[in-house]
Amino acid sequence: MAMRGLTVFIADIRNCRVRELEEKRINKEMANIRTKFKEGSLSGYDKKKYVCKLLYMYILGWDIDFGHMEAVNLISSNKYSEKQIGYLGITLLMHENSDLVRLVVNSIRKDLDDNNEIHNCLALHAIANIGGREMAESLAGDVHRLLVSPNSKSFVKKKAALTMLRLFRKHPDVIPAPDWAERITNIIDDYDLGVCLSVTSLITALAQQYPEAFMMAIPKAITRLHKVIVERDFSADYVYYKIPIPWLQVKLLRLLQYFPPTEDPNMAEMLHNVLQTIINNSQETPRNVQHNNAQNAILFEAINLAIHMDCESDIVRQATNILARFILSKETNVRYLGLETMAHLAAVTDELDEIKKHEETIILSLRDKDISVRRRGLDLLYSMCDVSNAKTIVSELIRYLHIADYALREEMVLKIAIMTEKYATEHSWYVDVILQLISSAGDHVGEEVWYRVVQIVTNHENLQEYAAKMVLHYMRSPHCHENMLKVGGYILGEYGHLIANLPGASPIEQFNTLHARFGLCSLATRALLLSTYIKFINLFPEIKGAILAVFNQYRHVLDAELQQRACEYMAIATMPTDDLLQTVCEEMPQFPERESALLSRLNEKTNMTEDKRTWNIGGKDSNEKTPANLLAAKEKNENGNVDDLAAALGNAGINTPSAADEATPKAGLSWKDQLAPGYEVWYNRLRDGTDGVLYEDSILQIGIKSEYHGHLGRLAMYFGNKTHTQLNSFSVTVESPEGLVIASSHTLATSIGPSTQIQQLYSLECQQILTDVPLIRISYQAGSIQSIYLKLPVTLTRFIEPIQLASADFFGRWKQIGGPPREVQAIFKSSERINLEKARSVLVNNRMGICDNVDPKPGNFVATGVLNTSLSGKVGCLLRLEPNRETDMYRLTIRTTSDVVSKHLKEILQSALL
Amino acid sequence: MISALFIYNQKGEVLISRLYRQDLKRSIADIFRIQVISNTDIRSPIITLGSTSFFHVRHENLYIVAVTKWNANAALIFEFCYRVINIGRSYFGKFDEEAVKANFVLIYELLDEVLDFGYPQNSETETLKMYITTESVKSERAIMEDSAKITIQATGATSWRRSDVRYRKNEAFVDVIESVNLLLSAQGNVLRGDVTGQIMMRAYLSGTPECKFGLNDKVLLEKDPTNRKKSSEAVEIDDCQFHQCVKLGKFDSDRTISFIPPDGEFELMRYRTSDNINLPFKVHPVVTEIGKSKIEYRILVKANFSSKLYANNVVLNIPTPLNTTGVICSASNGKAKYVPADNSIVWKISRFQGQSEFMLTGEASLTAMTHKKAWSRPPISMDFHVLMFTSSGLLVRFLKVFEKSNYNSVKWVRYMTKAGNYQIRF
Repeated sequence: MAMRGLTVFIADIRNCRVRELEEKRINKEMANIRTKFKEGSLSGYDKKKYVCKLLYMYILGWDIDFGHMEAVNLISSNKYSEKQIGYLGITLLMHENSDLVRLVVNSIRKDLDDNNEIHNCLALHAIANIGGREMAESLAGDVHRLLVSPNSKSFVKKKAALTMLRLFRKHPDVIPAPDWAERITNIIDDYDLGVCLSVTSLITALAQQYPEAFMMAIPKAITRLHKVIVERDFSADYVYYKIPIPWLQVKLLRLLQYFPPTEDPNMAEMLHNVLQTIINNSQETPRNVQHNNAQNAILFEAINLAIHMDCESDIVRQATNILARFILSKETNVRYLGLETMAHLAAVTDELDEIKKHEETIILSLRDKDISVRRRGLDLLYSMCDVSNAKTIVSELIRYLHIADYALREEMVLKIAIMTEKYATEHSWYVDVILQLISSAGDHVGEEVWYRVVQIVTNHENLQEYAAKMVLHYMRSPHCHENMLKVGGYILGEYGHLIANLPGASPIEQFNTLHARFGLCSLATRALLLSTYIKFINLFPEIKGAILAVFNQYRHVLDAELQQRACEYMAIATMPTDDLLQTVCEEMPQFPERESALLSRLNEKTNMTEDKRTWNIGGKDSNEKTPANLLAAKEKNENGNVDDLAAALGNAGINTPSAADEATPKAGLSWKDQLAPGYEVWYNRLRDGTDGVLYEDSILQIGIKSEYHGHLGRLAMYFGNKTHTQLNSFSVTVESPEGLVIASSHTLATSIGPSTQIQQLYSLECQQILTDVPLIRISYQAGSIQSIYLKLPVTLTRFIEPIQLASADFFGRWKQIGGPPREVQAIFKSSERINLEKARSVLVNNRMGICDNVDPKPGNFVATGVLNTSLSGKVGCLLRLEPNRETDMYRLTIRTTSDVVSKHLKEILQSALL
Repeated sequence: MISALFIYNQKGEVLISRLYRQDLKRSIADIFRIQVISNTDIRSPIITLGSTSFFHVRHENLYIVAVTKWNANAALIFEFCYRVINIGRSYFGKFDEEAVKANFVLIYELLDEVLDFGYPQNSETETLKMYITTESVKSERAIMEDSAKITIQATGATSWRRSDVRYRKNEAFVDVIESVNLLLSAQGNVLRGDVTGQIMMRAYLSGTPECKFGLNDKVLLEKDPTNRKKSSEAVEIDDCQFHQCVKLGKFDSDRTISFIPPDGEFELMRYRTSDNINLPFKVHPVVTEIGKSKIEYRILVKANFSSKLYANNVVLNIPTPLNTTGVICSASNGKAKYVPADNSIVWKISRFQGQSEFMLTGEASLTAMTHKKAWSRPPISMDFHVLMFTSSGLLVRFLKVFEKSNYNSVKWVRYMTKAGNYQIRF
């Protein structure tokens, strides 16, 4: 890196006493560089030196309009130092939309393809720093390749993940994230925690956009957390103040919050374990500040996740106790986070009792010296408010409103108004509170608040008199806010007559109260009051004279709106008959019920940030739109839609199964197309037996053992690693057909050591008649990611119990079932010479009980069995197989009590006999 | 009035800080440094921040800054600042950072004398030199005598002159120095042209002489019917200002300039004219851009004054584009070379005879630019000195000296025109 010329130049510039001298020096140097560049045939060293000088001038703020090409040329140099300066040059000199980006894309691609990982890293840096659309479009694929390639070094992977994250944030549409989801997700299993950390950041961003595609990250994240937290499997480099890689823990916990709670019981169990461990670990507060911070960061994220998973669980209960301790903490940050997390809990749970115990502490937090803590306290109070404690909270908030920070008041008023409206048990309380609110914090009361008051008073007849009385009372107080005047003007105009007989509320007194403040308020309010006055003329003809004087006066006011109103009202009021006046001033009809404008106003305020919130402030109902819940709801809808669609198709009588298939892009359907080549051999062999090899290649051997009893079955799978290296990122996914429930007993290890075998047990339950077999997908990393798709030999016949019937019984039932559709017959030619022993074993293996001596003709087989399902009951199966040894033909006749079973049994047996 | 006076160097370090009133703190100096010296956007000489106004003048590598809290007369304050510069120059020869650093004590002494509680006092160099000296201390008695004289002089009718000046040879030198400002458009039209001149006088006259000074001032000549015919050669002076010794009442009534000169050198008068200017040089630039990689220059300069005269130190700065790599040029006279630091070709001609004509041809080669930007073609600027020539045509018609003793005096007049802002667009 030592470049004497550069050092001298920098020293010269620094020695310049004034700008003018610096400019001279710069001009001179630029001219020198221009000459050198023009001459061409510079050595790499010289080029590097001059580009460095240009960069130095550039970062001093001088305009550089040449030398870009030289920087681009440096990139293709083989020397690290030259390449580095080249990249530095382009990242500094080019902006993302620069035309020159086109020139460097190829060089960058070449460096990405390079075997030298340092070159890879330089290229990745450049991509992340420039990050234009063009670059993203042409290079995202290469970045992805580096990320997932097994040959990439850990630090290349880290950088690739972060580069991809940057590209995704800038141009989300360029990254085909769903297509890459699987391979990216697998990297969570990487042995290097740093890689895992970077990838988790990437996945967190991607998963927010494409939640379905990244569902498979859930088990990976949970397993990883389990490994780090419970099994304590981590490298010592990543321990931060005794805590293993807190950043990764927090990120994974956060990632899980973007997904709906997992349904897999094993995973749930594992996660529970993880969360429990975290909570146990944080029972005591460490002395060291950093240690404490790291521990708390994890704990808070864990509590948030626990709340997200199941807000009534035992862990949440423990967490509530911890939170209670935190909100009393001396440290502001801890108090803040405690309150926020508690607000999260309050926002989603139905069980507010636990939180209510701490109501006093929370109310005290409103007097915290830190405004952000106060704000969180307010959020929590708002979230935990329900009918039982609304009155206390509201009165407490109103008391606090007077001393609250100005920045907080508007939000408080809005929240008080919402709570009062939502949880009011009696209307008079509502009116009291809102009027008190307007009178005491009028400046912070938005328009929506008083609109809402008017709506509610108008819609509740029993409230009107009380409201009118209270309004009049408030307007007589010496400090009356303009908003109060607006409410008062409207309510008295409508319902003033209801209180006209009370002492101190006679028409003229009402009018005087309003008019006393008329001159001091804004034009809009005055216009409203003029309308009130015309209503008064209708209600109280006795004060017409006083009011007409006001109208008369305002006929000459400058404001057009006021003038128009005054003139029109004057004209109406002085008409010979009162008919028009009465029609115009008829009592207001009730407002149609509509969504409170307040809530929409409040939600407006929650702004979008880079990482979306996982919950909203407010009660349970306001939380139905969080990302994870939306996802769950969307899934339901999608299934629902598909069913509807299928039903619609069926009703219309259009037999287009392909269309229906297209409409249901389920993973299983696409799997079928990818079944491992040659799987049939093993599959067919296993179809007739219970144990054996399901699949074998040079790397992996998969064996199966199974046993069945009635509608239940157990299946053990053995995965053997035939190589001498470890297989990583091993995962098995089973896609079960409708009617079959497959549960795994434990979570499979994610790696298989060299020449070892791992086992997985599945329990099977046949709930309905099966029409298909389960599919299994095995993926692992050996070099690159490999995936194998296989059929599992769990057919309908596995759930048949063989029975033996005597001849009379058999024929009795045979007749009872009768002909088609419950009878199915097939005549087919055997591919080889008919062997009676083989035919017999096929039947036995398919669990049919062979009844000897039933068929009069020897050589024919008669067999019976009962199919067991847990939900659809039992289905009796009878069959008759007539081999014709001369022509090598079979005739198979099956009668069962279900036409579906008949059809499938026929297919299974026919293919076995062929 | 002036609450404080600061002198900063180019970097904004305070060299001199003198507070005259209580209404400012010393830390006000930092505010000027931050708001003005460090802020390249501000180039106005007056900045008012809050209720405080800063007036600054730049000289050499110094900022002379006067600060006031009042609504003071800005012209007065600027005049005072220039006076400070003049005092400095006459005391130290050159008033720059080094001079200030070498003479802290003297400068504080001077500042104490010229400003009293923020009000300007006697700032006449000659007078100041009488009692603020750089020489060693004289005897008690001499000081007593001197200081008595100072009192009389400072409070007398002619505060700028002692009464007891004696010379064996009575001489007066008058220098008329003009600087021409010109901006010529590419088509050859004069966009701006004016001359600012000053008349410097060095008077070595005995006693208290009364001088009368005559110029070919148009207003004056037209007044006099006998000189009518000469009025074509007269000069119309737009604006003029005089040294304090000139009797303005007389100038106002009959436009005669009469004064009792201070002893030694002083600036008698400053003036400005903008009509009928004789441009000393004509420049015909032909600059053609050939393609994107070459520019051809053909610059013709012609001296427009009498062939008996000549100009010294003629320098032309011919700008080159920002992406110039090199220039090949040849001049018929003088030396021309490309100076990359200034992005220009500098053509120096040490002696330029009147009516002669010189030519420069050159070719600049350009390099490719990443972002094509048109060249802004900044104007050619020129520097020169021409002796015994005035652009405005101003002439000294007479200088008469009247003294009680009626001695004969010798008078010398010298003219010089130099370039101010002499620019030619192309």
